[in-house]
Amino acid sequence: MEYLEEWTGIATFGQGLIALAFGASFVALIAFLSGWKSVGRRAFYIHTFSTFAAIALIFVLFGAHRYEFEYIWKHLNNEMPMRFIFSAFWGGQEGGFLLWMFWHNVLGMVLLLSDSEWHNPVMATLSAIELFLTSMLLGVYFGNFQLGLDPFLLLRDAPSNAGLPWTARADYLTAFPMFQDGQGLNPLLQNYWMTIHPPTLFLGFASTSIPFAYALAGLANRKDRSWMKPALRWSIFGIGILGTGILMGGAWAYEALSFGGFWAWDPVENSSLVPWLTLVAGAHLLLINRNRKKPMALFSTYYFLLISFLLVLYSTFLTKSGVLGDTSVHSFVDSGILPQLLVYVLSFVGLAHFMLLDSKVWKATFGSIVAILLLLALKGWVIESIGAFLGLLVVTSLKAYRSEFERTEEEDSVWGREFWMFVGSLLFLVSAAHITWQTSLPVFNRFLEPLSPVLKQLGESFSSQVLLDLSKHNLAPGTDLDQTYHLVQVPLAVLIMALMGLAQWLKYKTTNVATIAKNLFLSFVLSALVTGILVWSYPFEWWELPRVALLSTALFAVFSNVDYILRMVRGKLKLWGSPVAHVGFGLVIFGAVLSTSQKDIISKNQIGDISTLNEELNNREDLLIMEGDTLSMGPYFVSYRNRYQDGIHVKFRMDYFEKNPYVYKPGDVVFFDGMVFEAKETHKASPQFSEDLEDHWMFVPFPNERQAKTAQLWKAGLPGRRLFTLEPRIQLNEQMGNAPEPDTKHWLNRDLYTHIKWGRVSPPETDEEGWMGGRTHTMQVGDSMLVGHTLLTIDSLRAVSDDEKPERGLLQKDLAIAACVSLKNKKQKRTHQPLYIVRDSTLIPDLYEAEDYGIKMRIETFDPQAEVLDMTVWEHESVRRDFVVMQASIFPLINVLWLGCILMAIGTFMAVWSRWKTDSKSKSNA
Amino acid sequence: MKRSHILSLLLIAALIGSFIATFTSTSRSVNFAEATQFAGEECKVSGTLNTAFPVEYNPEIDPTKTFFHMFDATGASKRVILSQPKPTGLENSESIDLYGSIVGEEFHATEMLMKCPSKYNENNHVLLGEDFQAEG
Repeated sequence: MEYLEEWTGIATFGQGLIALAFGASFVALIAFLSGWKSVGRRAFYIHTFSTFAAIALIFVLFGAHRYEFEYIWKHLNNEMPMRFIFSAFWGGQEGGFLLWMFWHNVLGMVLLLSDSEWHNPVMATLSAIELFLTSMLLGVYFGNFQLGLDPFLLLRDAPSNAGLPWTARADYLTAFPMFQDGQGLNPLLQNYWMTIHPPTLFLGFASTSIPFAYALAGLANRKDRSWMKPALRWSIFGIGILGTGILMGGAWAYEALSFGGFWAWDPVENSSLVPWLTLVAGAHLLLINRNRKKPMALFSTYYFLLISFLLVLYSTFLTKSGVLGDTSVHSFVDSGILPQLLVYVLSFVGLAHFMLLDSKVWKATFGSIVAILLLLALKGWVIESIGAFLGLLVVTSLKAYRSEFERTEEEDSVWGREFWMFVGSLLFLVSAAHITWQTSLPVFNRFLEPLSPVLKQLGESFSSQVLLDLSKHNLAPGTDLDQTYHLVQVPLAVLIMALMGLAQWLKYKTTNVATIAKNLFLSFVLSALVTGILVWSYPFEWWELPRVALLSTALFAVFSNVDYILRMVRGKLKLWGSPVAHVGFGLVIFGAVLSTSQKDIISKNQIGDISTLNEELNNREDLLIMEGDTLSMGPYFVSYRNRYQDGIHVKFRMDYFEKNPYVYKPGDVVFFDGMVFEAKETHKASPQFSEDLEDHWMFVPFPNERQAKTAQLWKAGLPGRRLFTLEPRIQLNEQMGNAPEPDTKHWLNRDLYTHIKWGRVSPPETDEEGWMGGRTHTMQVGDSMLVGHTLLTIDSLRAVSDDEKPERGLLQKDLAIAACVSLKNKKQKRTHQPLYIVRDSTLIPDLYEAEDYGIKMRIETFDPQAEVLDMTVWEHESVRRDFVVMQASIFPLINVLWLGCILMAIGTFMAVWSRWKTDSKSKSNA
Repeated sequence: MKRSHILSLLLIAALIGSFIATFTSTSRSVNFAEATQFAGEECKVSGTLNTAFPVEYNPEIDPTKTFFHMFDATGASKRVILSQPKPTGLENSESIDLYGSIVGEEFHATEMLMKCPSKYNENNHVLLGEDFQAEG
């Protein structure tokens, strides 16, 4: 059957491009392995060309709004502005894989152009990576095993639509309006961060594959260590790009999402941070070894570079396979490619460990055990064989570490730069391992599941609660970040920062201790001084000691490296890279720790209250503010002016006013903390009452009549002129639920961050006359309820006397009950009397309107014996006042963090540049 | 003993130490019945919103309390007091993860994660057969 209007041919063409890319990467892999250089190069060019063509084709489909394609239909709709076409492209998994492949291809082109002796083995690894990645896009089924997600899948071919009647109609595209518009990109992704963050991050991911490829090449030819120079360049490049990508993610979270910060230790964030940590460690070991005749920590050098890429794969597995499930806010759901992703990760993990082994016997043993495990896995023992495989990896790593690498017997000096750089890289490893451990809890549960009966038995026989808990395979990350992450990460960072300050001044081989002490003295004094100022000006608690230590060593690292630039590097521009990057990293840590730990939530509810009874559960960080009201909040007064809709956003105008101190005159009486005080003299109020108490106030134990009448709650200030307006907003998002977005006022030394925790996005429903509500409540005498801002209480019930009846428009034979209902709001309190009327044993409905309250009520039934009545109540929209629940915090010195990010990026690129220059010079000299 | 040996031992000690140190703070994901046994300890309960009861949020009275009922994985339902303003989209959530503890007959949650339909647009299967049969 011919489908009308459908680009059937294009779908086939696109699938052809993917298939060609797949085949070409396979040919390239075989060719590079066999040393057929020109064949391999051609195949890789074809692979690159067809990948680029496939990407271009998807953009064409987006531009032409071809909704017959599932990928387009899911990520585009007619309303979406074309400037978000990039976000839409990588909004789904298929686009993510294509983006990743795109960067591998670009980097591959660079490698092809800068031809070197390591050309073939490096390109072979890159082709293998590409082979696996392209297979993620094949979209072929082998029974239940799904090989890849096809980006050119037609909607009618999607498995979820299989067999539906419309798929059999040739004119489905024109017949059903469904296909003239798509689902649209999730509005959360429609912003410019989503345009720049993913490509940067994926370039960072892609760049870890090149040191990986060089390390594998080096393992295949162990005598020659010249691969280290290019690998170092690429590692530093990767550090710069991946670091920028991660921090951009943080900036996005801070600026556009309502996380209330920029780093939440979310599994997805963590899994991109971990490869960065190991890459940093690996690059520093390369720095040590690249020029040495006798290598040091050679195994670790290889190992760190290998695991950086493997951890990128693991990160992809965690985020894209759905295994994280509900532990992350932004992981993908399972789309059926978990097995394939797992095969991808494990293949490369296996390959890397196989290559770490040198002895033929061990290699053969490793290979045969893996083959056996593979068979077992195919027989259905999947988890068990993966577990055994991981055990095998540990054994292989130990074996490789013990005896497969060249070792230097003589030890290096403790005062050489090498030694401390090595120690630093081990610290990075511990940090990375700990984060991975925490992030992998959902993965551990899968391993614990088959072990459950054994663990249970062991737990019972040893009466060990830990084993019993483990047998339930239900580990979940804790929510207290101080306990789960900071406890370990902060001390590690303290040491890393200290080493960063120290190592820069150490020379390779050895250094005179007295010289080091002399050189570091200034930085040491300065950091101690600034730490002192910080402790004095911010309210640190004693348990925050590790945090303060981190601030001080971060400062030490910054000062020491600045000092190094000023005194040692000076005009030698090619040496600037490393100290600048280190200053940047120190500032990032300093800014992150200070702005997060000293974040001041100024919307904290300060009204003394009963809720302190349950401190743990009580959240007092959110503040309710009525439209038109002005509340004191930290150093400001805040007023909620109004709300308005702007595109897909409902914006809330929050005006910030300066706080002028309130001036009290002698004789003014105030309440504070339940006590009454009288002012002794004219004075300006301080921010805290306690500061004024002694000098300006007199305690009044027994207030007289005047004092009791005039006493008011003590207040520090009065709103002055308007300073600025922030417009936090709620994004209307039908697919995902409405999402709040913050608005932030930036100063040089702090940020004021405001976001809406709850707000109405549309007016409540009313009838034609503007009445809302109409719910019926069952009430008794003495019961109260809140209607809008009015407290409604049934005070009493009484029978209407015969005298009253005429003036109420009742007949003498009527039986009438009046409910005495008191209505109380801020302005007034009055009693109203709605009636319950029975005439000739029929109920006469009586609608009672309390006009000045905007409330209408009607008694529906009355049970005289139980004295219970049912009453319907309405509220008029004219008396309703809008309100929002908001949170506002001040982040001190957060700009230090951003400055650090920029310096770190600049520093790493300077380092790449100068390495590239010196390496190419030494090559031309040789 | 060589320095490299000392370093390796320190490394292993640090690794194991860091795992154990934070393992104690790991919470357990449980159902309501199990959470009752751990009363007072933080745990995680996953489930779905019980729509037979309304989601109550009265910011005028307390802007930081949301009340609702949730089914856990075993189908047991409990009243939940969440000490947060009502999360947008709670009514449409597909699944809910609560962090908190049982107090009396209620679950007091301090934190909550939700999965909403079509996170990242990955599971939109909206094309139902019935919609089209009428026309076709």
